[in-house]
Amino acid sequence: MQFTKKSQEHIDSCRFCWMCHHVCPIGNATGLERNTARARALGLSLVMRDSIEYSDDIINNVYECSLCGGCMTDCVTGWDPVMFTKEARLGAALDGKLPEYVMTMLSNLNEKGNIYGADKNENIPEINGGDTLFFLGEDTRAKSCAKTAVELLQKAGVEFTLLKDEPNSGYSMDFLISAAAETKAMMENCAKVLNNYKKVVCYDPADAKVMMREYKEWGIEVKAEVVTFTRFLAELIKDGKLAVKNSGKEFTPQDSPILARDLEETAPIRDILSACGVVNEMLLNRAYTMLAGNLIMNEYMPNVIEKVAENRWFNAKNANAKVLVTTSTAEYEMLLKTKPEDMELKKIEEVVAECL
Amino acid sequence: MTDFLFDVIATELEDAVGRENCSTRTIDKLTHSVDYFWLSRMWADRGLRMPEGDFIVAPKDAKEVSAVLKIANYYKIPVTTWGAGGGTQGGAIPVCGGIVLDTKRMNKIYDVNEQGMYIECGTGAIYKHIEWAANEKGYATMHYPSSLTCSTVGGFLAHRGIGVSSTKYGKIDDMVLQMEVVLPNGDIIETSPAPKHAAGPDLNQIFIGSEGTLGVMTKAQMRIYEQPESRQFRGFLFHNMTDAFNAGRELLQKFKPSVMRLYDEAETASLIKKIVGVEKKGAFMNIAIEGVKEMADLEMKILLETFAKYGAEDLGSEYGEKWWKEKITFFYPGHMMDIPQCFGTMDTIAPYDKIEKIYWEMKKAIETNFPQAKFIAHFSHWYEWGCMIYDRFIVDGDKVPQDPHEAFRLHQAIWNCGVRTALANGGVVNDHHGVGIKLGRLMKEQYGPAMQVFEGIKKQLDPNGIMNPFKLGL
Repeated sequence: MQFTKKSQEHIDSCRFCWMCHHVCPIGNATGLERNTARARALGLSLVMRDSIEYSDDIINNVYECSLCGGCMTDCVTGWDPVMFTKEARLGAALDGKLPEYVMTMLSNLNEKGNIYGADKNENIPEINGGDTLFFLGEDTRAKSCAKTAVELLQKAGVEFTLLKDEPNSGYSMDFLISAAAETKAMMENCAKVLNNYKKVVCYDPADAKVMMREYKEWGIEVKAEVVTFTRFLAELIKDGKLAVKNSGKEFTPQDSPILARDLEETAPIRDILSACGVVNEMLLNRAYTMLAGNLIMNEYMPNVIEKVAENRWFNAKNANAKVLVTTSTAEYEMLLKTKPEDMELKKIEEVVAECL
Repeated sequence: MTDFLFDVIATELEDAVGRENCSTRTIDKLTHSVDYFWLSRMWADRGLRMPEGDFIVAPKDAKEVSAVLKIANYYKIPVTTWGAGGGTQGGAIPVCGGIVLDTKRMNKIYDVNEQGMYIECGTGAIYKHIEWAANEKGYATMHYPSSLTCSTVGGFLAHRGIGVSSTKYGKIDDMVLQMEVVLPNGDIIETSPAPKHAAGPDLNQIFIGSEGTLGVMTKAQMRIYEQPESRQFRGFLFHNMTDAFNAGRELLQKFKPSVMRLYDEAETASLIKKIVGVEKKGAFMNIAIEGVKEMADLEMKILLETFAKYGAEDLGSEYGEKWWKEKITFFYPGHMMDIPQCFGTMDTIAPYDKIEKIYWEMKKAIETNFPQAKFIAHFSHWYEWGCMIYDRFIVDGDKVPQDPHEAFRLHQAIWNCGVRTALANGGVVNDHHGVGIKLGRLMKEQYGPAMQVFEGIKKQLDPNGIMNPFKLGL
C-alpha cells in the first residue's frame, strides 16, 4: 500500500492527535477507540512503516468511516482524515483487497446501476419537459421517494425532465473506492448525459457534491449548471413561484454534512424554513452539524448507522425540536427508521408543500 | 496462556459484554496501545509495537464492568482501564497485556439536573459532550482543558485533571459530587450523596487520581455553572517573573479570576508570539474575569490597580481574547511539540514561597545537564497559596538518539533530573497530568513511608494486583 506524500504527511500528523475525537458520528455511536481519525491514522502509519500488513482488519477499519468531514472541519490546522481514508480505500481496491461487502455493492452497481441491487423503480415517471434535468440519484431511486418534490416543481411551473434511465453520478463508487479508473469512467458517462441540459437540479446533495467537486477535480467537464434541490426550492420561493404562507410552526434543520461542509450551503434550508415558519436550531448546526445517516454504510453496519441516527434525534430532543427537517435522502431514511414517537420528521419539500 | 485458556476467557468476556464488545482484532489492540505518552508515540513512529492488551472489552455499565472484573480476578489477568487515550503519562497503556477495559460505551448522559446544578453521566462520556449537554440548557461545565474534546469524564477523574478556568471554578476533584465505582472484586459502590460532610474521609477523593489502580469509576455527577453574564480579558507584560508572582499572589487575596496564565520569557517569545501575536519581550500574563457584569467590572478595576503596582504593562483585551479563542489551537499538530522531537511536560505545584525557586532550579538543572534541551514554562493554575508550573523540555529531532532504547533513556534521564529537582525544592511529582507508568518510580521518592497508605489501600481493595499494574508506583 503506497500513499501519496500529502497523505503520508496528514496520516503522520493525525496519528497522535485526539482533538477531533468528539465529533466523529461513528465513534460517538460505537464508543470504540478504533472509530476515530487518530486510530485510523495510527493503523495506516504502521502500514506505511511496514510494521503491520494492510490486512482485512485494517481495511475494515478504513470502511468504518462515513467520510462526513466532521474531523476535518474541526481541525484548526487543516489536517484531512477524509483524504487519506479515501486514498486507503483506493489502495485496497488497487491491491485487490476489497472486503466482500464492498465487492457485493460494486457488483450490484455494475449489474443494477445501484449498490443496493434494487430493481429499477417503475413508479418513477419519465417526464420530458425541457432543458432542466431533475436528478434524483441512486439513494432516492433505490431506497426512497421524491414524489412531493416532483409535484412541487410542477406546481411552481418548472419545466423539467425526469429520466427513466438516470445514469449513476458516481457518488457511491467514489465513497467505496475513491478515484479509481472505474469511478472516473462512471462519472464521465454521467457527465455526458448531464451535458444535454442547461441546468441540473440534484435532489440528493450527495450527487450535487460529486458533480460540483469531484468532477472538477478530475477534469470531467459539466457544462450544465448544477444546483442543489434545496437551493432551487429557496429560489422558487424567493421568486414568488411558490407562494408559501408562514405557519408559525417551529422547524429544526438537520444540516446535511455534504451540504454544510462539502458545498458550504447552509442558508437555503433556513431561508425556506423561515418563510414557512420559525427556525429552531440544534446546538451543532451548519458546518458543525452531526451526520444523521448513511445508506451505503447501512448495508454493512446497520446497527451503528441506526445509532448514529438515534444520536441525532437525541441532539434534536435536547434542542426541544418538534419537527426535524432534512435535505438528504440517506439522512431522511435513517432518521425515519429511528424516529421517536413524540417527534416529527419532514423532508424540506414536505414543509413547503404544507405551507402553500 | 494456552490457546484453549485464551478461548475460555474470551468467551466468558463475550458473555459479560456481548460478542461485538469484546475484541481481539489487531486494530483494536493497536489503538489501545498508543496513548499521548511520548514513549508510545516515539515507539510507534519508529515502527515498533507497544505492549498490547489481549482482549479489548467495552462494557456498557457498572454491571458489565463488575462481570469483567470478576472474570479478571478469577483468572488473575491484568485490567487496564482506557478512557479516550489522551493521557500523557502512559497510564492507559496495558504494559502487562491482559484486558483493556474501554469505558466509552458508558457514555450516557442520564440527567442535566438544573435544580442540583449537576450532570449525571457515564464516565465514558467525552467531556465536550457533557459541555454540549450543559450548553443546550444554558449552562457550562467550566472544565476547559486542552484535551476537553478528547478525554472522558473518567479519564479526567482518574488523573485529577484541570482546566484553564480552574482558579475560579476549581479542579476536576472540586467538580464532582457523587460517583459510582466498581471495586476490583466486582462490588458496585456509591460514594456519599454530597461531597462535603463529616461522615469519614471523602470516598470520592480515594478514587479520584487513582488512575485505575483501585477500581473503575462508572458514573459521576459533575457540577454545572451558570454561563457568566460577562467574561473580560486583559493581557499584561511583566518585566520579570518575581513581579508577576507577587502581583498574582496579591490579586488572589482579593478575588478569583477564572483564567490566570503567566508565560516565562522563553514561552512568550515562542508560543505566545506565534499564536497570540505578542511581539514584545517580557513575561506575558493573561487574566480572565467573569461572572455578573457589575462584579466583573469591579474586579477588573482591582486587577488593573494591583498589577500597575508591579509595573505590569497593560496590553488591553485583544491578546487575552485571542488567547481564549486559540486556547486549544496550541495543542494541534503543527503548533505543539511532536515526534521526532523528544519532549515532556513536568508540571509541578508549590506554595508561593517555593514556586519561583523551583522554576529557576528546574530550568538550571535541565539546561545544565541537558544542553541539547530547551526549557520553556508557563504558570497556569493559581490559588490563594500558590500555583503550578507547566514546564516543558524539548529536544529537537536531530539531537534525539536514533536507537529508540537510547532515546527512551534520554527521555527518562531528563524527567528524573527535572522532577527530582522539583521534589528537592518543595514541589510534587505532578500537578494535573498524573503519574502513570512514566513517573511511578518517583512516587516513593516523594512520599517515602507515606506510600504505605496507598499500598495498604491497594492491597485491601485489589489483593490480586490486577488493576492497572505498575501505574502510580503501585
